[in-house]
Amino acid sequence: MFTLQVFLMAIRGLRANLLRSLLATLGVIIGVGAVISAMSILEGTQRDIVERFESLGSETITVVPAMAKSGGHSVGIFQTLTVEDAEALANPRNCPSVTAAAPEISGAASVKNMSRNNEYTVLGTSFAYADMFNYHVVRGRFISRDDVASEQKVAVLGSKVAEELFGNAPEINRTVKIRSAPFRVIGVMEEKGNIGFRNVDSQVIVPVTTAMNRLFGSQFVRFVHSISVQADSSTKVDEATSEIKRVLRRRHNINVRAGKQDDFQIYSQEEQRKQLGEVTTIFSIVLYSIAGISLVVGGIGIANIMLVSVTERTREIGVRMAVGAQRWDILSQFLIEASIISLLGGAFGVGVGYLMSDMLEKTTRIIETYTAPRVIVYALVMAILTGVVSGIYPAFKASRLDPVEALRYE
Amino acid sequence: MIRIEAMTKHYRMGDSVVYALDGVDLTVEKGEFVSITGASGSGKSTMMHLIGCLDRPTTGYYYIDNQRVDRLSDRRLARIRNTYIGFVFQTFNLINRTTALDNVAVPLIYARKRGARAAATQALERVGLAPRAHHRPSELSGGERQRVAIARALVNNPPLLLADEPTGNLDSRTGEQILELFHELHRDGVTIILVTHEMAVAAQAQRVVRMKDGKILEDRKVDEAFRIELLADRLQAEKGQGKKKPESMEQA
Repeated sequence: MFTLQVFLMAIRGLRANLLRSLLATLGVIIGVGAVISAMSILEGTQRDIVERFESLGSETITVVPAMAKSGGHSVGIFQTLTVEDAEALANPRNCPSVTAAAPEISGAASVKNMSRNNEYTVLGTSFAYADMFNYHVVRGRFISRDDVASEQKVAVLGSKVAEELFGNAPEINRTVKIRSAPFRVIGVMEEKGNIGFRNVDSQVIVPVTTAMNRLFGSQFVRFVHSISVQADSSTKVDEATSEIKRVLRRRHNINVRAGKQDDFQIYSQEEQRKQLGEVTTIFSIVLYSIAGISLVVGGIGIANIMLVSVTERTREIGVRMAVGAQRWDILSQFLIEASIISLLGGAFGVGVGYLMSDMLEKTTRIIETYTAPRVIVYALVMAILTGVVSGIYPAFKASRLDPVEALRYE
Repeated sequence: MIRIEAMTKHYRMGDSVVYALDGVDLTVEKGEFVSITGASGSGKSTMMHLIGCLDRPTTGYYYIDNQRVDRLSDRRLARIRNTYIGFVFQTFNLINRTTALDNVAVPLIYARKRGARAAATQALERVGLAPRAHHRPSELSGGERQRVAIARALVNNPPLLLADEPTGNLDSRTGEQILELFHELHRDGVTIILVTHEMAVAAQAQRVVRMKDGKILEDRKVDEAFRIELLADRLQAEKGQGKKKPESMEQA
C-alpha cells in the first residue's frame, strides 16, 4: 500500500516534467541500446560459427599447413601437404584411430553449361569426403577411388549449382565446362547448407588429382590446402591427433628433437572452439566496458536531473516533512524516481538495441544477430543499478534537508 | 496540552549569535484558540517552528501532553507532526501537479493508513470543498487553495492546528471566510495556534501572545478592553496615515 503510493507519487513527479524525464532516460537508452545491439551481434556471430563447427562433426580434425616463421616473423605458408599424406593418414596401420582422411583443394572457377554459366567454388577432394561429412548424392554417384587415381574429368554438382545450370533438365552424363575444360557430370548432391565455413550447395566437387593437375593448374601445384581427418569417435580425437602428428613428422622428415618446427597445424573442434571462446571473451569484455562507460554517462545524466529536481522541489520536500514524512520516505521517493527513469531507459534501450541489431541483420545479410534473454536481463539489471547509484546522492540530499529551511525556500 | 519552559533558540550568524528566542514560557490548554503575534524578527516564526516540532530548541523544555519532545529524534518528531499537528501556511504549499484530493491525502500516506481516499474526501467535505476534489491547485482560487491546505492539515484528525499567516495571501473577504472556518473548527474542539503579524487577525483568537525580540511581551485574553484598545490603535494609525496619503490610496 505504502510502496504503491510512493511509486505513484514518483510517477506523478516524473510526468510533471515529462521532457526532462525523457531526456534523463536518453543516456540510459543509448547505453543499453549499445549493449544490446553489440552483444546481439557478438552472440549471433558466435552462434553462427559454432553451428558451422558443429556441421563438421565433433570427430573431425583439420590439418593445415603451418605459418612459416623466420626470426619470429611469419613469412608465408608452408606448402607441404600432399594427396599421399592424406592416404597415409587414412591407412589404419599408420593411424589406427583414424577412419578416413580427405585432402582438399579449392578455388573459384567459372562453370558453364551451354549458355548458362556462373562462378562457383570448385573443390578437389577424394571419395572419403562424402561419408566424412555425411553429405550424399541424390542422383548419380559420388567420385570414386578410381576417379582420383586416374584423374578423371568428372564433376559432382551441389544442389544449387545443378539448379542454376540445368533447371529441371537431367544433368547426369551431360558435360559442363570448368575453366573451359569439359567435365562429365556424374552426380548431384543433396541440399545441405553449410559444412564448416563453406556453403556446399553452390560447390562443384571434382577428384583432387584432377583439380591439382588440370584445373588449378600448373606443375607447381603439388600440394593441397588442407586435409580433413575423421577420428574413430569423438573420444578418440586426442589419440588421432598424436597419430597424425607422428605420421606427418616422419613423412616430412621433421626431427622435433633436433629443434625443427612442424610444417603443419592440427585443429580439432575442441581447440577451435576454445580459441573462438577466447576471442569472444575478449570482445565481450571490450563491449561490456564500452557499455559500462555509456551507462556511467547515463547515470551522471540522471544524477544531474535528480539534483535539479531536488533543488526545484525543496519547498515540496519541506511540506512533506511538515506533514509527517520521515527522512526515509523522502529518500525512497527520489530513489524510486531515479530507478523508474533508468528502468524506462533500460526497457526502451532493449527495444532500440533489438531493432538496431535486427535492422543490421536484414540490411547487411552477412551479420547474424541473436539477442539472448540473458543479455537483456543483464542490461536491465545494470540500468536499474545505474539509476539507484546515481539517485543515491540526490535522494540523500533531499532527505537531509532541514524542514524549516526547506519551507522557507523560494 | 502544550507547555514550553525557558525555551531559547540561538542561531550562529558568522561570528555573532542571534537569539531568535530568549527564554520563553508558554502554556496552551486543550481547546484554546491562541494567536502569536509580533513584528517580523520578533521570534514568532521560530516559535511556530518549535511548537510545530520542525526544529529543536537550543535550551529549555517542550512538553506535549506532558511528554517531553524537545530532544526527540527526527523520526519521532516526524511522527508527532504527522499525527498530532496540522500545518496551514501563508503560501498554501500545495503540490501543484496533483489534485486537491491527492494533496489532502499526503499526510495519510506518511501515516501508512488505509482508506486514504475516503478520509481525504471527508476532510474536503469538512472545509466545504468536496466538489472541487479533482481539480488541481492551479484551477482553484486562493481561498479554495487555503481550504485544501486546511483539509490536508485536518485529515489525520490532529488535536492541534498550527497556522502561519493563513490569511496573508488572501483578500480580506476570503481571509474572513478562512477565519470563520477556523472558528468552526475551534467549536469542534480543535486547538488552534495562529501566527500572524496583523493584530486584527490575531484578535480573532481567545488569547493573544505578543512577542518582541525573542521574548513574550504580553499574554492576555481577548476581551472588551482588548478590543477597545485595538480600535483606538487603528484609529490613531488611520489618522496618522491620513495626513500623508489620500484616503483612496489607503483603501487600495
